[in-house]
Amino acid sequence: MAAEPPAAPGRGGAPGRGARWRGAVGWATGSVPVSIVLALLIGAVAIVIAGKDPLAAYRAMVEGALTGPGLANTIQRAIPIVGLAMGLAIAIRAGVFNLGAEGQMVLGGLAGTVVALEMPGPGLVVLVAACLAAVLAGALWAALSAVLQTGLGVPILITSLLLNYPARYLSSYLVRFPLRDESSSMVATAPVPEDARIAPLIPGTSGLGRSLAESLGRDDVLVLVTRGVNWSILVVLAIVGLAAFVNRRTPGGLESGLAGLNPRFARYGGVDTSRLAVSTMMISGGISGLVGVMLVLGSQYRLIEGALVGTNYAWTGLLVALLAANRPLRVLVVGTFFAALVVGGEAMQRSQDVSAQISQVIQAAVIVLIAIRVRLPLPKRSRQVREPAGTADPAAVSEAETQVGRV
Amino acid sequence: MDWSGLVDGALFASVVRALIPVLLAAMGGLVCDRAGVFNVALEGLMLIGCFAAVAGSYYSGSALVGVLVAVVCATLLAAVLAYGSVSRKADPIVLGVALNIFAVGVTGFLLVALFDVRGVFQSPEIVGLPRVRIPGLADLPGIGPVLFDLSLLGYLALVLVPVVHVLLFRFPLGLRLRGVGERPQAASTLGVNPTAYQYGAVLASGVLCGLAGAQLALGNVVQFAENMTAGRGWIAVVAVMLARANPLGTLAACVLFGFAEAFGFRLQGNGLPAQITDAAPYVVTLIALLIARRHFSRTVATAATG
Amino acid sequence: MTLELELRGITRRFPGVVANDRIDLDVRKGEIHALMGENGAGKSTLMSILYGLLHPDEGEIWVRGERQHFSSPNDAIAAGLGMVFQSFKLFPSLTVAENVVYGREPTRGRRLARASAERQVTELAQRYGLAVDATARVEDLPVGVLQRVEIVKALYREASVLILDEPTAVLTPQESEALFEVLRALARDGRTIIFITHKLKEVMAMSDRVTVLRDGRAVARFVTAQTSPAEITRAMTGRDVTPRVTPPAQPPGEPVLRCRGLRIEGEHGRPVVDDATFEVRAGEIVGIAGVAGNGQAELIEAITGLRSVAAGTVEIAGRDVAGGSVADRRASGLSYIPEDRHAVGTAGAADTAANLALGHHRRPPLLRRGLLQPQAVKEHASTLIDRFQIKVSGPETRVGTLSGGNLQKVVVAREMSHGAPLLIAEQPTRGVDVGAIEFIHAEVTACRDRGGAVLLVSAELSEILSLSGRILIMFEGRIVAELGAAEADEATLGLLMAGASPEMVSRHGR
Repeated sequence: MAAEPPAAPGRGGAPGRGARWRGAVGWATGSVPVSIVLALLIGAVAIVIAGKDPLAAYRAMVEGALTGPGLANTIQRAIPIVGLAMGLAIAIRAGVFNLGAEGQMVLGGLAGTVVALEMPGPGLVVLVAACLAAVLAGALWAALSAVLQTGLGVPILITSLLLNYPARYLSSYLVRFPLRDESSSMVATAPVPEDARIAPLIPGTSGLGRSLAESLGRDDVLVLVTRGVNWSILVVLAIVGLAAFVNRRTPGGLESGLAGLNPRFARYGGVDTSRLAVSTMMISGGISGLVGVMLVLGSQYRLIEGALVGTNYAWTGLLVALLAANRPLRVLVVGTFFAALVVGGEAMQRSQDVSAQISQVIQAAVIVLIAIRVRLPLPKRSRQVREPAGTADPAAVSEAETQVGRV
Repeated sequence: MDWSGLVDGALFASVVRALIPVLLAAMGGLVCDRAGVFNVALEGLMLIGCFAAVAGSYYSGSALVGVLVAVVCATLLAAVLAYGSVSRKADPIVLGVALNIFAVGVTGFLLVALFDVRGVFQSPEIVGLPRVRIPGLADLPGIGPVLFDLSLLGYLALVLVPVVHVLLFRFPLGLRLRGVGERPQAASTLGVNPTAYQYGAVLASGVLCGLAGAQLALGNVVQFAENMTAGRGWIAVVAVMLARANPLGTLAACVLFGFAEAFGFRLQGNGLPAQITDAAPYVVTLIALLIARRHFSRTVATAATG
Repeated sequence: MTLELELRGITRRFPGVVANDRIDLDVRKGEIHALMGENGAGKSTLMSILYGLLHPDEGEIWVRGERQHFSSPNDAIAAGLGMVFQSFKLFPSLTVAENVVYGREPTRGRRLARASAERQVTELAQRYGLAVDATARVEDLPVGVLQRVEIVKALYREASVLILDEPTAVLTPQESEALFEVLRALARDGRTIIFITHKLKEVMAMSDRVTVLRDGRAVARFVTAQTSPAEITRAMTGRDVTPRVTPPAQPPGEPVLRCRGLRIEGEHGRPVVDDATFEVRAGEIVGIAGVAGNGQAELIEAITGLRSVAAGTVEIAGRDVAGGSVADRRASGLSYIPEDRHAVGTAGAADTAANLALGHHRRPPLLRRGLLQPQAVKEHASTLIDRFQIKVSGPETRVGTLSGGNLQKVVVAREMSHGAPLLIAEQPTRGVDVGAIEFIHAEVTACRDRGGAVLLVSAELSEILSLSGRILIMFEGRIVAELGAAEADEATLGLLMAGASPEMVSRHGR
């Protein structure tokens, strides 16, 4: 072991300064904007390869995502993305790498749809029951991965990913055969009863909706948003708010954060990390399941074959959680940003004939660049500063550095 | 339902075909695991390989060019992983997952940009990998058509297993690689630079995943479909885990997977819904994981459950 | 006579500290040269520079009259330097022979010549009386043998200068003596030995000359035969050291920790601890001595709940917690300073406040009406930072940036402030500077004097001897002897730690 030079009080050398810097303004000014700009450049290169004008494409993207019906669309898309990302952020923060949001969402959507289709009773009761069923389905599917890790030592990372496929195929089979609505041309279930659907904030058909449209005009942003966005936005906002509160103000929140940074430390301190993994996965999967049913009951009104998988929401959500470093409010911001990229990408596809998948490329590139901590070269961060940290305490520093990648 | 003839020579031939891309990718993952890098980007590297192989073959009219383009592109992506995880000490899981998503996006984007199609790109101008019958051996009853009527990449994959084994356990290179993966600090005090070996391993996985993609898109089928790797890269990750990064064990795990896929196809022919049989490889893989339990390789255990 | 090795004005700065300040060192061929200094004096930094792992900011390295620039260990090895690190740099899954030849493998064709490697290793080992089995897997070997493997490694690379960093830290006194024999034989053979230590006795017994470091400077050089322990101590610490052993004020009270018939199993159901029965009473410090790897770590893990117990009972304050969780034990009154402060005792990426809060966070004042009180968490941290003199800029600083001694103080502060009746202290002063050692020792004795029961595990026999009222000796998973403070000395402990039976020891020793 090399010597451990005592740090002078008041400054722990470069890492301390770095930490403060990162903490205060860092997230907004550090490697994040650099990575976003670089990712947009990578996207531009791809657009050029496709033989199109990147500036025009990006302009179409911004307009498509932020103006008129696009804005309503962005908000509506942000709901599932933020929801899924929040579920994943809760898990990853506790050190549980859940790659199974897709399967959990699909099963949630499936269970909720079945309940909504089959259960008699007043609409609101059916709606609530469908949501509970979805939460339960997602939570149990996720718990399976957790139990496999805590009981048998098979990593959650792997099982949660593999479990996506059976979930996807099961739902696909049920929608194609037993639940198929033969009267429809779509491969889909029958539509859920209207009173069990999640309503828009202000439906266009309601009195308030009509008077709003008359006074502001049909294309006013407020009219479009209140019409296009449904009540699940409140559910997702509540989840984000609750997560922020739990992280900051509850003992469990402190424990799961520490478990994510160093599970051995948490165990040593008396945290039952196995139980934590199971409960965290259940919360995470439950949220994914809820997002699944909210998509069915809030926008599609029936379970369409492949629709939940095809949106790629689960993977976008994972990228959001990673970029947001699992912080709830950042998840909200980043999730909305990524939703805007998705909606803008689709607008670009319509007007500029550039494939909408460019938004996925840009999103993933941002995460890659941030993971490798791309930043503008700063004059004072020389070898001098990094090296001694490595000698003073290699274990601590390497751990801290890894965590920067994962938190 | 006709259950007769479910198991025959043709089944074994399709087992081998199903396992070869996974085996190539798994060998890449194995080398990374031995070097101490948990590579979960196999899926993405392979997918890039698929697309590049099809594009290369389509534009040049040569399968060989397709394979070379696949190798180059997958290795370039692997270089990002190497730089990030080795030089920048980024979390390899975060990086790997992001690269996988990047690969899905970029191949889907270029599919439209270059070929103006969505979903699946098929064309008579894509030249597939020819199968090379080995005269004499291919006519052996039983194993002949199973093992001696493959593409060159198929032979390469099978030969690679003993080659990797010997390199790992009989050559200084392998000794050094294993040491680097186990205790990089100890290696560097003996003048063996861990960074170089880890870069080498990750880049090698790029080459192998490029080949795996080429085999999948020019050998098993001759087309590119969005996200056509469909979890095979992850199955390769699992195969390495199951075998604790032992080459022969990894082959065995890949055989298991290939069997599940081939048998699933067969059952589908017998009337089972495709959705059930499509899930078979994943379910079989999961069950294998449960049976093998804790006997996983070191990097996986620390990286994934730590 | 040319010098084998000469350092001129070596300076190495780290942020906020000059680890090496214009150090000169000259070492003659064939001599045994001791490099002495307290923890944190700059010894290890100097050795890392000498071995090419660190680069000096200023200064020159000369080997046999030639100026050298070491950019990596390769250069140092090529110049004939060999290093035996304090924490061994071995590959557990490889064999002894593979470890030795790693990076410089004998080949046949281009393949690894395994048989030749094994033969060479065996020959080298035999020549210097280093008993090692070349075909054994390193993970199966005890610590003492690992050190021999490290020495063979250096010899295989034809090291003419052998540098050993605290070589006796993991050995029994008898094993140390055997090591010294080997080193003397090597020196007679014309090799040069530099050994780093802070143990005065070894310096006096072994070295031809000694260089003393303090606060990063070479403050004194002596010919060993012409100096005295007192003189070296003064140079090392800058003052006369008066050992401060404060005996307990009152006799021990009720048992707080009671283990009966404790059995702990490792892989394949092999017992790593068997039939451990002992108790620790209120107001006493019980030390556990033993060579690393004889079950102490597992015993502690089982008592603290991090490892499952196969048979037997663990009672904390009268409650059997053998089947319970860590939380159960902590609730019963356990506090615990773990051996590894980085991997277990802290979360490096979390801030100081959170690191200090864990374990206190489910009780007032940190928790009120079921909610954490951020202000209270912060105040809790600030109070402990002040009381334990932790050098940190504030509660929101990540602890990963702290020095070893300060990080250890974070752990000590958190655990001591529970006021729990039982404290388990595992290697509490390993790798921390002198000031922190004194501070931690004072805290541990203060805990005892408050009526706390303390179980102390340490590889430093001097620490065990100066603090403990009773000493348990572990060998191969069993508690083989118990000694009162009065009847224990290093020689007796050493024999017992090496597996001698107590009867044999009493016959021989006294």
